[in-house]
Amino acid sequence: MTDTLIFAIPKGRILKEALPLLARAGIEPDADFHDPASRALQFGTNVPGLSLIRVRAFDAATFVAHGAADFGIVGSDVIDEFGYEALYAPVDLKIGGCRLSVAEPKALAEDDDPRSWSHVRVATKYPNITSRHFAARGVQAECVKLNGAMELAPRLGLTNRIVDLVSSGQTLKENGLVEVEVIADVSSRLIVSRPSFKRKAEVMTDWLARFREAVDA
Amino acid sequence: MTDPISRGLLPEGFRDRLAPRAAAADRLVRTLCDRITAHGYDLVQPPLAEFEDSLIGRLSDGGAQDLLRVIDPVSQRTLAIRSDITPQAGRIAATRLAHRPRPLRLSYAGPVLSVRPPQVGAERERMQIGAELIGHDSVAAAGEILTVALEALTAAGCADLSVDLTLPSLVEELAEADWPVDNLDAVRAALDGKDHASLIAAGGAAYAPLIEAAGPAASAIPALRAAGMGAAFDRRLDAAEALTARASGLARVTVDPTERRGFEFQTWLGFSLFAGGIASEIGRGGTYIVRHPGGAEEPAIGFSLYIDGLVQAGLGRRKTRRIFLPHGTDAGVGTALRADGWVTVAALSGSDDAEANACTHIWTGEPAAL
Repeated sequence: MTDTLIFAIPKGRILKEALPLLARAGIEPDADFHDPASRALQFGTNVPGLSLIRVRAFDAATFVAHGAADFGIVGSDVIDEFGYEALYAPVDLKIGGCRLSVAEPKALAEDDDPRSWSHVRVATKYPNITSRHFAARGVQAECVKLNGAMELAPRLGLTNRIVDLVSSGQTLKENGLVEVEVIADVSSRLIVSRPSFKRKAEVMTDWLARFREAVDA
Repeated sequence: MTDPISRGLLPEGFRDRLAPRAAAADRLVRTLCDRITAHGYDLVQPPLAEFEDSLIGRLSDGGAQDLLRVIDPVSQRTLAIRSDITPQAGRIAATRLAHRPRPLRLSYAGPVLSVRPPQVGAERERMQIGAELIGHDSVAAAGEILTVALEALTAAGCADLSVDLTLPSLVEELAEADWPVDNLDAVRAALDGKDHASLIAAGGAAYAPLIEAAGPAASAIPALRAAGMGAAFDRRLDAAEALTARASGLARVTVDPTERRGFEFQTWLGFSLFAGGIASEIGRGGTYIVRHPGGAEEPAIGFSLYIDGLVQAGLGRRKTRRIFLPHGTDAGVGTALRADGWVTVAALSGSDDAEANACTHIWTGEPAAL
């Protein structure tokens, strides 16, 4: 068996912080990875047999859970949302820190009594986490799935509340929203596909050790 | 208006299997069954459906949720379609074959149905082939079961096999012994995902070396010995070492002490089977308890293989020589050719032709290649 390996790395928020970590673990992407004009989707690296794919964060988890990619990086928010059984998250990379929170308009927060809720309407990219979170206290959450610009939902009357990632809280503030509850602290994890972890055990355990060292470095 | 069902739409997770894959699947089932029964595992054929109660008591919680249930118009009781044949083999061993001497060796092959599609893949109907050894769960029994599974898979054409050994009851027993934790559920959930950060957050830092040790048996077993779990658990590592030695001629062996997903029903040993070129697991097994009607318990070990991944990977296919017999060919010609291993397609009229029948050869007084 050829031990060709595919590493899934998410576009956006995490990418900038992830690259130095990859470098410390010994992975340098080929030059065209950094070329904004490049339309390539898969990139070579300095490590023979190892290539990178750059995809959306949710897709990175999907590629790895299906074994189409062997390992990768995603936020713990994505891992929790999918709850894939075929996915391991053995290393906390301690990057991409933020939190997943419930937010609502300032006026609503001021005279709201969460104890009386039986049902809430929430705009979110995380319907599973959101329903689980509210269900745990006996409240049914009706989730409106959005892929971005969550803050618009309360302003335009789509929903009263949102569940979204919050780092500084600046975007919430600019949209007249306040953070009322933290559901989970989020950080990026090294994820590994279960079949790859078993079938390519030697090389995968070696990479795990390298990433553990890179985090501690 | 076209009705999708009239066009053959099937429910999600079900499919028609056509040539050549249907033949390949059939061949794989026969090869696997032949190899298993050759080790003395008598074939049994439990029914597709049973009383729900009979299946539920013998399935894990997740398995019970997987059952498709219907009300039986005859008995007015709930029937369930099996999602796993293992509990049926256990039922047979505990009832109709309870009087037979142990160890009892049983094998089976048949379709199973899950209500929910798996997270990865979509199949709700799968073909399960397996063997159960009832009455023993010793290292010797485990060695036999592993060998039978690996030999059968090798005969079916699987290459680059690997076995992942797991110790399903380990974490719970450690928590009761020297490694207590406040919230066992949270620790186990973190261990399931090998999620180091959540494990620390759940107060299970002591268990972190068990995640880090998982990997090739040659390095995992020494690392687990060094983790200092205590003498009772060292014996389990001795067993893992013995099984590694037994299986290593047939497969690569890895050890993962905390794997629990899908092993909720297993006792001291579980294992998963993988093969090169097939992305998902192809089979699993382990030790478990068979419960008798009187409440007695009996140790057992077994394995189940699922051939769908093998068929997908193109295993079980065989090139057939398919010869067209033009209209009027003497019947004796076909008989002789079939006896010689040919597949024959006889023309029904003079307008039939070889190409439309996907033949590789035509009879012209002798086989002529097309």
